[in-house]
Amino acid sequence: MSGFVHGLSYGAVIVTVLMTVTAFSLWFERKLAARMQSRLGPTLVGPAGILQPIADVLKLLQKEDIVPLKADAVLFNLAPPVAVVCAIGVAAAVPFSPTVVAADLDVGVLYVLAIGAVTVLPVFTAGWASNNKLALLGGMRAVAQSVSYEVPLVLAALVPVILAGSMRIGAIVQFQSDHHWFVAWPFFLGIPAFVIFVLAMLAEANRIPFDIPEAESELVAGVTTEYTGMKFALFYMAEYVHTLVASAVASALFLGGWDGGPFRPGLHWMVLKTLFLFAGLYWIRWTLLRFRSDQLMRLCWRYLVPSSIALVATAGVWVVFVG
Amino acid sequence: MTFRLAFWLVALVMVVAAYLVVRSQNLVRAVLWLALVLLGTAALYALLDAPFLAGVQVLTYVGGVVTLMIFGVMVTGRQEGAVAEIDSADRIRGLLVAVGFFALVGGAILKTDFSNVIAPRPPTTAELARSLLDDYLLAFEVTSLLLLAAVVGAVVLARRRDPTPETEGSPR
Repeated sequence: MSGFVHGLSYGAVIVTVLMTVTAFSLWFERKLAARMQSRLGPTLVGPAGILQPIADVLKLLQKEDIVPLKADAVLFNLAPPVAVVCAIGVAAAVPFSPTVVAADLDVGVLYVLAIGAVTVLPVFTAGWASNNKLALLGGMRAVAQSVSYEVPLVLAALVPVILAGSMRIGAIVQFQSDHHWFVAWPFFLGIPAFVIFVLAMLAEANRIPFDIPEAESELVAGVTTEYTGMKFALFYMAEYVHTLVASAVASALFLGGWDGGPFRPGLHWMVLKTLFLFAGLYWIRWTLLRFRSDQLMRLCWRYLVPSSIALVATAGVWVVFVG
Repeated sequence: MTFRLAFWLVALVMVVAAYLVVRSQNLVRAVLWLALVLLGTAALYALLDAPFLAGVQVLTYVGGVVTLMIFGVMVTGRQEGAVAEIDSADRIRGLLVAVGFFALVGGAILKTDFSNVIAPRPPTTAELARSLLDDYLLAFEVTSLLLLAAVVGAVVLARRRDPTPETEGSPR
């Protein structure tokens, strides 16, 4: 029973913190993007516009909730909350410090990957239930992308599992704390696996440059075309939470999690690394253009899949003969 | 107590969802109900202290198979085509087979004496890996070879050209 209470209380805290960080990451992203483009970004609401997310949410809450006449109303309404639940659910198995973790599962890495794989279902459902050809096209793109990028994602996540000899994320972080962060040593395995993992995670979260499911220049807004008000906001939130949690997972698997090198380990390191990676993803987002569908598939099947298979094989050899 | 409650909850959801898989008039909805059934199976595995199996179940079946099925439904017809005539043509025979199978399995379960079966300690993931990749390595590799053959076979079938092609230049 204590495990249940532990999970519930830590879960509540982690979800609250995640939501707050997500809301203010919107402000951060707009400010960062504005700086990169020699603009100011939001300035009016609060000091330096920091209350902008709250104003945005208030605005979205007031908007009219429209369900298209020919839409599949049940699935249409169900998809946004399920998308958020999938995104938040991943956070349960991520250890933010040796003690701050909702449930450090024995199969943590597998759990994270499995929930991540389910994420495509609400996205597709939204596209299909909207009964709108642009939304449906977006949904189909999301499915194709997710099926393809799941392969390099799983294989890249296998590399730290093999090196640390455990699927418990906490144990993987502890291993890096005792030895080296995987991006530092063996860097020839850690760095490529880290890059592939982050790319595939971006593709799974449908983030630029992998956001072809909602390519606004071709598909209006893809799967979210028919959504208004809070339901649209939920999709938006799911995307941001997914990216944030993905950054946390990548930090734990490759960047040593809560370990601070020569400094005292703790929660602050995990938070710093996660936010640093998160900001890096924004940087990518505002720098690169969107890929075409065929380029996306070529990148995945021609480059990421073969190299990740090679990485897994090399990691096995490394563990047997060196590690 | 908690276990029983959880089991009956999951079982109820699974049975209802499984019924709706076969009764749904809409292919996409049927596939989504199937996803719920498969998630329920994963929940049962998790309840039985088999977290690895639960994770793999979700990853391969919900993440892979269901997604591919959805893709199949999408590319085979227009959206209205998804509302297919999937009602069984012969309900009586279908019912007979279903009831017969249920009686067979149910009878087998009821006849087996479970009273002196000691629940084995659930194997940890490490033990599972050791038995899979050490003790039963040959069987494991043969299975993977079989799957590889199936993949190659699928590609060959998909790429096979029509034996009597139209002779007006290359396709596309």
